[in-house]
Amino acid sequence: MFTKFNQKYKTIFLDSSSAAFELDEKVNVVLSPSMYWVKKLSLPLQKVSEVKKLLESIFEDTLPLGNYNYSVYKEGEFFFAFAYDDKFIIDTLEDKGIAVANVAGVYFAQSELGFIEGAVKINETQSIFLKDDILILLPCCWVEESGDLNIDEIKLSKRGINLAQFGHIVDSKSLYKIGAILVAFIVLIMSEWMITSSKVDDFSDKKETLFAKAKLQATMFQNKAMLKKYTKIHTKQVSIREITSIILSTRLRPSETLTQLILKDKKITAYYNIISQPTINAIKKELKSKKIEFNIDKKNGHFIFEMIL
Amino acid sequence: MMNRINPLHIGALLVVVLLFSIFKLSGAKSDLSEVKAEFRETQELATKLSGLKSTYADKKSVKKSLERVLKISSLRSANIVKKSTKGAIVLSSSSMDKNALNSLMGKLLNGAYQINSFKIKKLSDSKVSFEMEIKW
Repeated sequence: MFTKFNQKYKTIFLDSSSAAFELDEKVNVVLSPSMYWVKKLSLPLQKVSEVKKLLESIFEDTLPLGNYNYSVYKEGEFFFAFAYDDKFIIDTLEDKGIAVANVAGVYFAQSELGFIEGAVKINETQSIFLKDDILILLPCCWVEESGDLNIDEIKLSKRGINLAQFGHIVDSKSLYKIGAILVAFIVLIMSEWMITSSKVDDFSDKKETLFAKAKLQATMFQNKAMLKKYTKIHTKQVSIREITSIILSTRLRPSETLTQLILKDKKITAYYNIISQPTINAIKKELKSKKIEFNIDKKNGHFIFEMIL
Repeated sequence: MMNRINPLHIGALLVVVLLFSIFKLSGAKSDLSEVKAEFRETQELATKLSGLKSTYADKKSVKKSLERVLKISSLRSANIVKKSTKGAIVLSSSSMDKNALNSLMGKLLNGAYQINSFKIKKLSDSKVSFEMEIKW
């Protein structure tokens, strides 16, 4: 990713048998042949992208059990295919005192040191040797070295790899799937949120329209107060009608007379000059059934029914 | 090459965005149910209020309706006097027969009038005096 800037960083050669490094700066890492698997292939294919699809099956029977990532590049007629275990490389880096955050780039020795001739000593115990275009690692005493390699002086190619730091936990495909599911959920929920917000606005508009159409007061408090006032009027009117109906529909005996019926303030008063007990009982029963408060009195020879509204 | 964004960070960001959208959606849903409830309450209030107002506060319709009632033939002989004020109308008759009273009371009690007061007094076996104040 940052290959063009990588030359300014120090380059180290990483092997599982390397001594620990003492670094607090960013470095480019060249992986020893012991840290990856490589195959030189001659295939009836032209494009690297076509070969990429086959990499897993190319290494299928070669690799020990593990999580591997693959890489390929073309050189001349041949494809150089690589398999590597990200976790193993990261663990080795950390084991050698290199913080993952300090790694600027990771490269295969195969892609970076393919120019060497003969055996080249890379540390006290090991040499690298190019055989049939494949870089191999050898104990230093096996071959006669042509010299030491100053790895810091080599010019790095653009064939670096990206290490999947969490590939051992979950593979990239699963990560993409999980990511896609999360994004789909986010899109769904955001859409639902937008629809809901729009509905909220619709209801607010409808409410305003209703206020205007029904000629309501500006606030619900005023409207509720007005409704309370009219409900009170309505209840009183219903009560007036109920009481009047009871009084006027009660059958009186020939000797009984209703002389006055008065509605004033919050009561209806009925005056009878003569009224029998059964009639009184009938009126009382009706008033009680309608839960109407009443008083019975006798004044100046009149029986008085006073009913409270 | 190690500088690329950690996929778990992207995952965490997506989860945060997801949680944020769930939070926003839940807020919007709660707003919606609140605004729906307010709308229904307003609708109910408006229906009740407009019904009650048209019944008890529509001066024109009360006036028209009363005029129709007083034109009934059975009430013509009752000599009902109509006296209007700003907030009420008073109907009175110094003497009317029982049938006219029954007819008038039937119409007034079954109609949508805001009866404020009345006084019915028996004058004889067949005659009564009548006075009623109807508000508008």
